[in-house]
Amino acid sequence: MAKPISYVGGTMLMQEADETGYSLAADYTLSPKLAVGVFGKKEIKGDRYSFGGPQVNTLLKRWNLPDGQGNIFTMTGVGIARDNNPGPSRSHFAAWTGVLADYETRRIFTSYELRLMYADNIEKAAWQRARVGFAPYLANYNDVNTWLMIQVDHHPAKDRTTVVTPLVRVFYKTFLAEAGISSHGRLMFNWVQQF
Amino acid sequence: MRYTLSMAIMLVHAAPVAHAETIIATVNGMVCAFCATGIEKSFKKQSAVAEILVDLEHKKVTVHTKPERTLDDTLVTKLITDAGYAVVGIERRP
Repeated sequence: MAKPISYVGGTMLMQEADETGYSLAADYTLSPKLAVGVFGKKEIKGDRYSFGGPQVNTLLKRWNLPDGQGNIFTMTGVGIARDNNPGPSRSHFAAWTGVLADYETRRIFTSYELRLMYADNIEKAAWQRARVGFAPYLANYNDVNTWLMIQVDHHPAKDRTTVVTPLVRVFYKTFLAEAGISSHGRLMFNWVQQF
Repeated sequence: MRYTLSMAIMLVHAAPVAHAETIIATVNGMVCAFCATGIEKSFKKQSAVAEILVDLEHKKVTVHTKPERTLDDTLVTKLITDAGYAVVGIERRP
């Protein structure tokens, strides 16, 4: 949702609740190209399981242009997964990685994310997410910024493999929130707080 | 002559004994206000900074220093780079 690396010395708390599940992440930025933290998610609407553990985020490439910025990030973690399907619950080794590419100006936003998930005997999956958006008005630094976006998720391991979610993103200073309703009628709500 | 001398003395006394500085950095990549808050937070940690203004429209970061204090170009560039952006120019005004 937000860039997984902020400013050196900055901490970021990020929560997502959508068609695929509920997640919480906390990151601390060590350098312009490296952040460390923890990530956890409860997966729903398919194989039901929870996983979590430490995560490392890296900036592979950044383009700082006069009127835009492009980035390529990776997010990689290892931890424990627990099966939430009916029956006895066991802990399994879990590992996940992903790549996120984005480009934005003050008017338009695009991003693409590919995630790979390995949770031993529970799930081995790849899923992808794309977003496009635009700002209906040009806001400056001290204004409330508003964006209208469309998010498309393709998640072959879920009950509904493709989900389209129109959403509104609003942010002011260090707080960002997003709300939308998916093509299957499920509410999406995300927020990020920078410290 | 006496009038001129009096005016000169008044002007000397009216001149500031300590001056602050305004540093204006032109920054590339600064298009997202949420992400640019890192610039403000980083500069506010510097004891020499009295005020910082971020302007996305003109791609400027303006820093007003406290009297008799300054930030050198290297530090200004580092703080902005550490926040994820590229400095393309720095100008200073008394």
